[in-house]
Amino acid sequence: MITRRLLLISAAAISFASTALAEGKLKVVATFSILGDLVAQVGGDRVEVTTLVGPDGDAHVYQPSPADAQGVADAAVIVANGLGFEGWMDRLVEASGTAATVVIASNTVTPIAFAEAVEEAGHDDHADEHADEHAEEHADEAHDHDHAHDHGAQDPHAWQNVTNVAIYVENIAAGLTAADPEGAATYKANATAYLAELSVLDADIRAAVAALPADRRTIVTSHDSFGYFAAAYGLTFVSPQGVSTEAEASAMDVAALITQIRDAGISAVFVENIADPRLLEQVASETGAKIGGTLFSDALSGPDGPASTYLAMMRNNLTQLTAALGS
Amino acid sequence: MALKLRDLTLGYDRHPAVHHLNLDLCAGSLTAIVGPNGAGKSTLMKGLIGELAPLEGRIDRTAHRLAYLPQLSEVDRSFPVTVGAFVAMGLWHKVGAFGRISGNAAAPVAEGLAAVGLTGYERRPISALSGGQMQRVLFARLLLQDADLILLDEPFTALDTRTAGELLQVVKRWHGEGRTVVAVLHDLDAVRSHFPDTLLLAREKVAHGPTAQVLTAENLFRARQKSEAFVEAAPVCDRVELGAA
Amino acid sequence: MSWLVDPFTDFVFMQRALLGCLAISLGATPVGVFLMLRRMSLTGDAMAHAILPGAAVGYLVAGLNLGAMTIGGVVAGLIVAVLTGAVARFTALREDASLAAFYLISLALGVLLVSLKGSNVDLMHVLFGTVLALDNAALILLCAITTVTLATLALIFRPLVLECADPRFLASVSRWSGPVHFIFLALVVLNLVAGFQALGTLMAVGIMILPAATARFWATSISGMLIVAAVSASIASVFGLLMSYHAGLPSGPAIILSAGCLYLLSLGFGRVGSLFTRAFPRPHLDA
Repeated sequence: MITRRLLLISAAAISFASTALAEGKLKVVATFSILGDLVAQVGGDRVEVTTLVGPDGDAHVYQPSPADAQGVADAAVIVANGLGFEGWMDRLVEASGTAATVVIASNTVTPIAFAEAVEEAGHDDHADEHADEHAEEHADEAHDHDHAHDHGAQDPHAWQNVTNVAIYVENIAAGLTAADPEGAATYKANATAYLAELSVLDADIRAAVAALPADRRTIVTSHDSFGYFAAAYGLTFVSPQGVSTEAEASAMDVAALITQIRDAGISAVFVENIADPRLLEQVASETGAKIGGTLFSDALSGPDGPASTYLAMMRNNLTQLTAALGS
Repeated sequence: MALKLRDLTLGYDRHPAVHHLNLDLCAGSLTAIVGPNGAGKSTLMKGLIGELAPLEGRIDRTAHRLAYLPQLSEVDRSFPVTVGAFVAMGLWHKVGAFGRISGNAAAPVAEGLAAVGLTGYERRPISALSGGQMQRVLFARLLLQDADLILLDEPFTALDTRTAGELLQVVKRWHGEGRTVVAVLHDLDAVRSHFPDTLLLAREKVAHGPTAQVLTAENLFRARQKSEAFVEAAPVCDRVELGAA
Repeated sequence: MSWLVDPFTDFVFMQRALLGCLAISLGATPVGVFLMLRRMSLTGDAMAHAILPGAAVGYLVAGLNLGAMTIGGVVAGLIVAVLTGAVARFTALREDASLAAFYLISLALGVLLVSLKGSNVDLMHVLFGTVLALDNAALILLCAITTVTLATLALIFRPLVLECADPRFLASVSRWSGPVHFIFLALVVLNLVAGFQALGTLMAVGIMILPAATARFWATSISGMLIVAAVSASIASVFGLLMSYHAGLPSGPAIILSAGCLYLLSLGFGRVGSLFTRAFPRPHLDA
């Protein structure tokens, strides 16, 4: 009697398990490339990740396509950043009629207000430039946006602080486990391994910054997405005056940028959308500031680029920053 | 012989302006070239200075230095250069492209200008000159060129009698210095008065020699008969030698 | 006065910009004066287009490398200059038509070559710089070109003047006629390329021609014109840079517009042949 029940239960369990296996991997949709990478790290072979905003993409202005809606509809789990990063997300979820669970990666992360440093150093300029910059630059790279007016008070780029990403990973693991309890052990193991790498990364960043001279920790960049990085690791990010449009620079613009750099004691300049790199060199040589390479903030690079995974991205940024700021 | 022409044919687009010309010019001779319009006089001049390549025949020139006064001057009169600087260019044979002209030029330039009656004009820009004055400046430059063979193409056209007379004196001076001078002229009286030798041209040599013998009524009549037009459907020329030297 | 001097004392880039502009003012304006006197003022514009295939070849070979594209541009310009002169000399076609034909062929070739590489890169935008961004290499290049130009002009001054005033006479007394012509065109190409680096696009032609046109209204001798042209270009440079600094105008256009203003003022009120002197002539002299 007991044996028959045991057998029946086992049969049911096995058929259940095989059904789960027969259905294939867990379909997860990540909103942008950084989350996509994190989900892949945690989910491993058990998940099939689709990313909406791909490498070098701009999530702030992304327009979902019908194919995206289809992907979302089929998904079991959707992982989004939250904090107002994906303004288009809610409508997409609703429109697709998906039954997926939405995991907000930044759940329980302490948000910070939008970069005050940006506001100090010439917010008024940006109010004017804003209209032009958005019109011109929307279609282009992901790196050059001023979003002070897009997101209200909160800075969504929480992943720039590695400890926040640890929280992201735990939220993701929890979400995957809830949708796929079978994989709980796998998810936990992957997450733990990744968390270890994250803490190494965090320690490295702190050490590298600590090694920098105290007076060489300010940089100029047109990105405004490094608020969390600045707060966590002690660098100061400042936005450039003038000289960031495609049009021919005037002496007034160049002088303003030089003055800003001198007055704020800035040591490195990372501005990628000045039309003439020689102009940048001129500015750098006159002020003694160094010119930095490319920083990645809102998206990963393509698979051949220097920031193809989250870890690679942070390490790349760290290398660029220390190279420019180191003496 | 300063100049020897052998069976010279010059023309444009296969049509001969001057046919089969044989000529010997002695060194130091003063020769006028006359003929009706379209006789090929200017064409001959251009051939002599090398501006036009012969269709056939040869030009042998023993003169060391050649000076040429074209019929239509290509001088850019609006160019900001002074008379003195312009005339000084005649010293090219001495200083070349890069030699220093400096103070040594002042005397020859002044002399040249005096010879043509333009003393004191050194600093005037050429744009301020009249046609006759420009022609005299060109003559002054020729003077400074110190050439052995001087070719003048209608040098006195559009000049008043007095100026023409003055320039004729310059020509005679050249003749007196032993230079070979050849001039294309229309004024037969002037030719009879001042030029010992004449070449009568009408697309071919009609006569050449002492002026009195050349400018006979018969020769002039023959010259006027020759056609000046290029005939489109003309056959290939088969004449070999026309007229002895 | 401080608004005049401070920008230059406070900022190194302004000093370099000024030096670059003065170098160009000295080198390009004499070339421009001769261009104007020879009635070749539009040649500069044509040459600017002619250098494109050279820059394109430089781009194909070495990517967006300024040195390669500059050398390519100079070579292309020189080739067009030689071919133009040769055709004008040895065939029935005159120089203006010859130049027009070659620069058009050259331009089309350049556009073709650029499109071969596939991308829609705006070559000219890359090749042409701004006077505010003159690094050491560019400044040295500008000064070198100016020195070479002035030295060459001093050397070939006599044949050049004669070639402009009485080319047939020059041909009759010297073999320098052809070479002088080509050397002059080579100087045009060199100074255009120098101007491109400093002032960008067609502003380079502007600094060559506008001061020369201005000089026409003040001087009657060649040396007078050369001096007036160089001075007016220098004034325009200083004024343009100050406008760029105080009023935020882009530097290249500011300088050329200043030169343009000087031209218009001279057209109106210059000492020689201006509208004012024609409208109010001085009483004539006794003799």
